[in-house]
This record gives sequence, structure tokens and C-alpha cells, in this order.
Amino acid sequence: MTTYVYGIAEADLPRLPGGLVGVGDPPRPVRVLRESGTAAVVSDCPEGLRPKRRDLFAHQRVLTAAAAAGAVLPLRFGSTAPDDDAVRGALARHAELYRGQLATVADRVEYNVKALHREDVLLRAILADSPEIRKLNEATRVEGGATYQDRLRLGQLVADALREHETRDSRTVEYALATHAEHHRRGPEGSGRVVNLSFLVGRDEAAGFLAALEELRAASPHLDVRVNGPLPPYSFVRTESVEAA
Amino acid sequence: MTTAVAPLQQSSGSRSGTLYDVLELILDRGLVIDAFVRVSLVGIEILKIDVRVVVASVDTYLRFAEACNRLDLEAGPAKDPGVPELVGGLTENGARGKTKGALAGAAETISDAFKKGRDGLTSSSSGDDDEAEKEPTKSRRTTTSRRERESE
Repeated sequence: MTTYVYGIAEADLPRLPGGLVGVGDPPRPVRVLRESGTAAVVSDCPEGLRPKRRDLFAHQRVLTAAAAAGAVLPLRFGSTAPDDDAVRGALARHAELYRGQLATVADRVEYNVKALHREDVLLRAILADSPEIRKLNEATRVEGGATYQDRLRLGQLVADALREHETRDSRTVEYALATHAEHHRRGPEGSGRVVNLSFLVGRDEAAGFLAALEELRAASPHLDVRVNGPLPPYSFVRTESVEAA
Repeated sequence: MTTAVAPLQQSSGSRSGTLYDVLELILDRGLVIDAFVRVSLVGIEILKIDVRVVVASVDTYLRFAEACNRLDLEAGPAKDPGVPELVGGLTENGARGKTKGALAGAAETISDAFKKGRDGLTSSSSGDDDEAEKEPTKSRRTTTSRRERESE
């Protein structure tokens, strides 16, 4: 029976809620395999597992529960082993490595912060800042009052201004929050957000981090700031090959 | 070690949208162990945007010009709930809220993160209402997108 692996934890840590279930339909019960001072949070893996909404949620749910019980190294979605013994073998081979990593995320949580521009607020600010853009805007909004080139020029100036704001706002968010976090890391490329940053925050620091976030929101009405967390430390585990280490 | 801390949970609402907000983390981050095999992610594709939010193109410029033209400059921000109308013609697909417009529209391609896979795969989903890839699927002209992770 293929085994689905959610994450790795200290052997004595995960006291998972009774009845916790994971991937599959019906959802498979979650269990813990212990080996060499480490533990793997696993369940049976259903045949033909695919990245369905339900299973992605299940992965996230199990890791959230495990992380509430103690330090956990989240595995990437969809990690499977041929059977439980193969999981124990992997734990045994790299127990020290995992324990070392667990120490770096213990009592810490991840917050992922994304921000988008509120375009109405931002476009107004851009118009207010630039006489040239205002003038072009007035000229082009009158029917027949401007050429195609004028409209293009207006759009280009606005796009340039927006890019400047992107750069500036990304830095602003980073500076405002990084002081409350132990580490931070840019989100995966291509999220399309002005800001996509993950922060590793000590549990004791979480209140300060969230307060800083609220200040940031208040000071940046042109930004729609969203925070997700506390999350298992997805972005703060080593992603390079363990076997190669 | 027990410290009094808030339980670990999603704090920003449990709309299913939340999953999309952390999806890239679930799929792109986290430990990879060589001894384990990852299930195929075929059928799920994350559209990546090569450049950042604002794309330099004639198309984009014209959209921004139009968005500016349509701003009601007399009205303050508070009097402007009509952002979707403001840029209604600019978001081709799946406007998801009033912060979305010409600008956000370019940015939101990631909301198309789940895309139906290749035709063969799509047909195999056989009415399963639980597919992750149910989100809006059309990519926008304003973004240069690139498909990655097709089958990792």
C-alpha cells in the first residue's frame, strides 16, 4: 500500500487530533510513523491520487494540525513512498538532518503576505502627482479631442508610474514587516502580486508582526494587503535535494 | 514546551479562496525528499507571469489610458464604489471583486492558477465537482504567461 507523507516532525511531538483524516475519498486516517527520533505524519495513499481541491485542502489541514502540535517540516504536496517501511528508511537515513531543520522552525510560523494595488486610489494619486498625465487625461477623455498617440502616451506614462509604485511598495512592505520576522523570503515567482512575501515569525512575535501589518494597511490605502497564516513553514524548509546533502 | 499561543489556523477567513492564496506554497514550497515519489501534477497548471504586474504593451497602455479617462475625478475615493463598472470592459473574465480592474486584471492571472489540463485530462475529470482546477481558466491578453510545472 502506497504511503502518502504530509510532513516530518520530532518523534515525541505530534499529538494529532483524534479522527484526523487526510487525502482520498473517503479520506484516509492520518497516522504517525516513528523512527530514529523523528516521525512522519502519513496516511494511506489512495489509488490515482490527483491534485484535487479536496486533497490539496487535506494536505494543508493535516499539516496545520501537525504544526499546532509541534515543529513540523511540511513536505510538498503529493509526496508518496512505496510503503511505511520506505518512509521509516528515509527517516533513519537522514534523521539528524531533519532534526536539525526542525530546530530551525520550532516555535515559528509562516505568514504569507500578498498585496495588490487598489487601482482607483493609485490612479488618482498618479494623476495628482503629474501635470503631464493630468493634461493628457483631460485631452483624451473628450471625444475626438486627442489622437491615438496621445492615448498611447497617457497609458505609457501611467504604466511607468505604476511600475515605480510597485517597486516602492514592495520595499515598503518588506521593511515594515521584516523587523518582526526571523527570516523572509519572496513568494514563488509569477504570483502576479505587487507583493508576495513569506515571513518566518516566532510565535511570540506574531502579535507584533500582525500589529505592524495593521499599521502598514492604515498607512497604505492604495494597497490591498492580505495575510495568510499562521501557516506551517512551507517556505522555510530546505528545498534542495536531501540525498545530495 | 508549551507556550500560550493562538492555535495554528487560517486567520484570514476560511473561504475556499484561501486555498488559492496559499496554493503556490503547497505546490511550490515544502520539503522534497528524493526517496519519495511525487504524484503527477498533470492536470494542474500554474500560469506564471514572466514580468511583473504592469506589462509594457500597446494593449496595456490603451487600457490604462481608458481607466484614467473613466476615473470620476470629482468624486473622492469614498464615492467610487463602481470600480468594476469603471473598468468593466477591461476585465475579460472572472472579475472577482471590486479591487479588480485594468491593473488588478493584469495581476490576477494567477487566479487562473488552476487550469484545466490538456484536453485528454479534462475529459477524464468526468463531472467531478471537486477538481482543484475549477477556477477561471482563460488567460488574459495583458499578460505574458508561460506554463510551467506541467507534469512535475
